Amino acid sequence: MTKTTEPLHIQLQSFFLARKNFYQLLNLLFLPPTNKVLAGIRSSINFHELEEVHEGGEILQHFIGHLSNEQINMEKEEYQRLFIGPGPLAAPPWESYYRSKDQLLFEEWMYQVREQYHRYGLKYVKENNEPDDHLLLELEFMSFLANLNMQESNHERILELISSQISFLEKHLTIWIPFFCERVIENTESQLYLGAAMLLEDFLSFDLTTLIELREVLTDV
Amino acid sequence: MSEKNHLMTLLTNKMQRRTFLKWSGAIGIPVIAGGIGTKMLVDRKGEQKVVNAKEKEKIFSTCSINNCGGRCVIKAHVKDGVVVRVSTDSQESGDLSTPPLRACVRGRNYRSMLYHPDRLKYPMKRIGKRGEGKFKRISWEEAIETIASEVKRIGDQYGPESRYVNYASGQSWGLHGGKNAARKLLSLTGGFLNYRNDYSSGAGNVATPYTYGTNNSGSSFDSLLHSKYFILWGQNPSEMIFSTPYREYLMQAKKNGAKIIVIDPRYTDTAVAFADEWIPILPTTDNAMMDAMGYVIITENLHDQAFLDKYCIGFDGDHMPDGIPKQESLKSYLLGEKDGVAKTPEWAEEICRVPADKIREIAREYAKTKPAALIQGWAAQRQAYGEQFMRGGAQLACLTGNVGKLGGWAAGTGYWSRSDIVYPFSYKNPVKASIPCFLWTKAVEYGVEMTPADGLEGTEKLTTNIKCIFNMAGNMLINQHSDINKTVKLLEDESKVEFIVVSDLFMTPSAKFADILLPGTTFFERYDIGVPWCFGDYVVFGDKTIDPLYECRDEYDVFAEVAEKLGVKDKFTEGKTILDLVKESVERTKKELDPNFPTFDEFRKKGVYHFKYDTPLIGFKDQIDDLENHPFETPSGKIELFSKALWEMNKHDEIPAIAKYIPAWEGPEDPLKETFPFQLISWHYKRRCHSTYDNQPWLEEAAKQEMWVNTKDAEKRGINNGDRVQVQNERGSLFIDVKVTPRIAPGVVGIPQGAWYSPDKEGVDQRGSVNVLTSQRPTPLAKANPQLTNLVEVKKA
Repeated sequence: MTKTTEPLHIQLQSFFLARKNFYQLLNLLFLPPTNKVLAGIRSSINFHELEEVHEGGEILQHFIGHLSNEQINMEKEEYQRLFIGPGPLAAPPWESYYRSKDQLLFEEWMYQVREQYHRYGLKYVKENNEPDDHLLLELEFMSFLANLNMQESNHERILELISSQISFLEKHLTIWIPFFCERVIENTESQLYLGAAMLLEDFLSFDLTTLIELREVLTDV
Repeated sequence: MSEKNHLMTLLTNKMQRRTFLKWSGAIGIPVIAGGIGTKMLVDRKGEQKVVNAKEKEKIFSTCSINNCGGRCVIKAHVKDGVVVRVSTDSQESGDLSTPPLRACVRGRNYRSMLYHPDRLKYPMKRIGKRGEGKFKRISWEEAIETIASEVKRIGDQYGPESRYVNYASGQSWGLHGGKNAARKLLSLTGGFLNYRNDYSSGAGNVATPYTYGTNNSGSSFDSLLHSKYFILWGQNPSEMIFSTPYREYLMQAKKNGAKIIVIDPRYTDTAVAFADEWIPILPTTDNAMMDAMGYVIITENLHDQAFLDKYCIGFDGDHMPDGIPKQESLKSYLLGEKDGVAKTPEWAEEICRVPADKIREIAREYAKTKPAALIQGWAAQRQAYGEQFMRGGAQLACLTGNVGKLGGWAAGTGYWSRSDIVYPFSYKNPVKASIPCFLWTKAVEYGVEMTPADGLEGTEKLTTNIKCIFNMAGNMLINQHSDINKTVKLLEDESKVEFIVVSDLFMTPSAKFADILLPGTTFFERYDIGVPWCFGDYVVFGDKTIDPLYECRDEYDVFAEVAEKLGVKDKFTEGKTILDLVKESVERTKKELDPNFPTFDEFRKKGVYHFKYDTPLIGFKDQIDDLENHPFETPSGKIELFSKALWEMNKHDEIPAIAKYIPAWEGPEDPLKETFPFQLISWHYKRRCHSTYDNQPWLEEAAKQEMWVNTKDAEKRGINNGDRVQVQNERGSLFIDVKVTPRIAPGVVGIPQGAWYSPDKEGVDQRGSVNVLTSQRPTPLAKANPQLTNLVEVKKA
């Protein structure tokens, strides 16, 4: 009884591609701000569009529009102060820190995300040397899953992958990221990290809602 | 409805303002181009096993080698490369030959230290002004290259005496450690300026040998089971541990019926746990009470004349060294024959505030109850005339004949040791010059002006000031040395010390002053063997439980690479890894020192080795049993209550030949007390080991950083429990919360030592780092730290 104009997975490709790109953009925003990374950010965003949908986008557009070498150096220092150290970090970028009672790293949540990576045949290149629940890794994992989704044509598998992403967002990213972003927003005057944090937090909750709704739709199909 | 329409309807209708289409439109161009952002998640390549929560834990027995007197057994439960929890020695108590080596609250926190988010993770170089705290992440290659070239440059330019490895105790009781690695590197490239002595028992270490010829005046803990009476004078093993099994023996002695007196300005946890009686005393006045006890013992004829006649020099006029007037004797001093002041309990009460009758009572009990152990802590010798305290205790032990006898105690510094292991990692410094460790800031500023009168040894004169400092796992660079404000100023001047290397786990106040900052490893991440301070018949295996985290590295490996740059790597490592050193120590200890010592595998499995002995070690037993064949190691071969060597220094006011009370500068008799009315002391807090762990929140919950003030003093000043106060003197000022308590003597305030100096923008410490208020004036003989001698004013903030 199949009567399709265009296979579902083809229809969904642009959706997953856009999500993958967005996760990659977020990843870029939280990489050490080298000239190359900043150029990557600049070329990745349609700022007019982003500005319209989100205040964070507006801040970022303003930042990218006024980039000088001096500014880049300041961002490098700021990045180190917020996320690298030495010394107490203004915004530690690891999930365990926000979820464990004693604000430690390498706690059970790190195990949980490691288990997810392993389940998909992946491992952190620095496994057991640095924690697996770093922001950049969790974002990379999401873009990896979005990419898998793009390549998948089996309906069941598509649903399964969507569920995995929903679960990862629900059990991990959307739980700790709001606290992380709050720390960034409270502690920085950098337009780059202010904008990035606002965008990150809102995109994740938006993505979660979208995926849940998509799953409802696809389950009914 | 087609699927496509369905989907589009969903995506356009359900999203309100922020629609998916808009979001996706905002990033129309593919983002990652040309390899920006290396992939961090990689293919597991055939590793089938998925980590899961049920995987079995593996238990490693390991050991911290910080500067705690105890060594406890730490069991690391490791699962999938992560230490998931720690436990401690599960040995039952009961058999005192194998006492349990259980961790205290600090040991229980080790996992939090290991996985603390603030760990130093990568090598850094300073980019701001020194001390400002601005750093840039660099590669290990750059760090090693910089160290090698600076070590060479400064050595070539100023000579080897310009290079200094600062006193540091974060890794102090193991086989290798950063300090030794730096020393070995410098030794192989021309040498470095040595230091002597320590910050713990500095005055005592120099003073006690003038009485006994050695600092090994203690006896093994099992001897305490024979003691009937204890005076713990300023000793607080409940909080600072001293040696892990010590309390087990004290508890047993108490069960055996011994009476325990604790003399301390504070009602310490030790007093709470063990004391039949707590005697509060004013800091720096202990010798007044000691003198009065001596007076009571002599005048009531309770002294052991036969012991004094046979073993001691200087008790009375008949036993003086040649050429010394009779009235210089100890007895003459106590009776006031020369100065007209009899050292009566009433005289002492005026000074030390212990009631005269109480002094009499304790003197009588101590002299009559045999055997009795007067055991001295070291806090009371970290004062202006700390030498007197150490020799004064020994004096009382001699008056009562408690030396060399089972259950007695010779007092003085009180080291004892009969168990040892082989240390295969060693160096030979070609430079002979040495300074007292406490005078390193002086050697930075006025090194070339120092003389033997400043404790300079091995040379008449230094050729240079200190220009390069290695500060490895230590906080003496800023926090733990006296007078922080003065030290900060000194180090901020980059023309004085030109290059500072710090290695540590966290961004300590000292680490902020690094030019090159290296991330070190915790004991979980390296092999070692932990030994207790000189007190205890046990050693603990330090297993490597996980690989070093982040880019943290063992200093041994780092300095081996620096050595390679300087062409001396082979001499540095002798081809050995850290694990090789540990194995060699175990094998050679078994072969050379103790045939019962376990093999490497046995030791690793068991985690601990207890040396066993049939009889207790009794300090000076050989000398007392047979003086002729076993003289004391003093010039006269006897116990020198009167030291002719000290007499000949001819500074009798500050360096007397017999131990006596000398009113301290910034003591209760100093006129400065009108301006700064409180005596400030510090103590080893149970939540820290010196300054280690100050950044651990869980321990702060266990014991908050706060200043103790006596209830009456607080009332007079309208200070309530929990209030924030400002504490200040001429050297500095700090803010701290207050604990109002009757557990500290009136007129005395106490700040637990080791809190990290945390200045606000005006440079005023907000955490209660006591060394903001302490003085760099050294003790007269030992040139040691007087850090418990301070007058301060306290005001409600």
